[in-house]
Amino acid sequence: MALTERLQNTTEVGYWTGEIPLEYIYTYGRAGEKYYRTLRDKGTFLGTKCEACGITYVPPRIYCEKCFARLEDKYVEVGTTGVVHTFTVLYKNLDETKKDKPAMMAMIKLDNTEGGVVHYLGEIEPEKVEIGMPVKAVLKAKKDRTGSIKDIKYFKPL
Amino acid sequence: MLDAQRILKTATKVKLDDIKSGKVLSVHDKPNLKYAWDNGVAIGRYLAELKNGRIIGKRCNSCKRVLVPPRMFCELCWRPTDDWEFVQDTGTILTCVVSHVNWDASRVKKGQRYHTPAVIELDGAGKDQEAMLHIDEIEPYDIKIGMRVKAVWKEPEERIGAITDIKYFKVIG
Repeated sequence: MALTERLQNTTEVGYWTGEIPLEYIYTYGRAGEKYYRTLRDKGTFLGTKCEACGITYVPPRIYCEKCFARLEDKYVEVGTTGVVHTFTVLYKNLDETKKDKPAMMAMIKLDNTEGGVVHYLGEIEPEKVEIGMPVKAVLKAKKDRTGSIKDIKYFKPL
Repeated sequence: MLDAQRILKTATKVKLDDIKSGKVLSVHDKPNLKYAWDNGVAIGRYLAELKNGRIIGKRCNSCKRVLVPPRMFCELCWRPTDDWEFVQDTGTILTCVVSHVNWDASRVKKGQRYHTPAVIELDGAGKDQEAMLHIDEIEPYDIKIGMRVKAVWKEPEERIGAITDIKYFKVIG
């Protein structure tokens, strides 16, 4: 029992267009606020350390996910160096137009920490990027930082 | 003290001013949510006929209903529907609401008319087939269930093949 009536001509196909207005403000939360303030004011990444498990979480979490200990007074600065955990090369923009120059995005695992930061890679050709490669964050000038992930320009190879 | 109580005591109450002044950091974004929705056969014909100033439905020969807006498949009989059938642009108010708020939850301003969307059973359409449309040319609180109404159409050259080609329904008799 099939539907017998169909559109035979592609020019008859109609569509309805619309736009859903959506706008949001997202606050970073207790740990996120400290993380981005430290990045803005001191130019370094912040984590929380669970002494019992020996794990430093970056971005900071206010509870240890292994032992549920409260970590809100266990903030540690972890520096700006890490290694490429995984990466991808982008050839297209969000609207699917071609990029002039391929960009690279990577998950950076900061040294001696759990977790990571997803950001661009710079000052390197796509074919030279390797997993495990040591990198360092390049930040904007202090006066231009606003307390956001965009305060980091990119990560460059050490 | 319980941890939950400690958190409540130390919890920060964020105000919009704190965010705007940068006292509390935040991300502000406006995603681009544009869409194009395929009309399909049934709604395509429905919209085309609205442009002609007519309302069309589709009959199911099994349950004898005329589905408005038309659908290619009868959800009760679980079979394809049969014939196209025009219905009247007159009907009866099944239910109505007087809304003091706009669609974005802002309040209707003084002097502006309250919104009065109503569920209307169109003449010639099946018992449980109705359309959600606006009522006008009557004081909002004078609208009663069971009133007879008729569609007020846009001028033919203004119609674009949309449900808004019917400007509103007015009360008759």
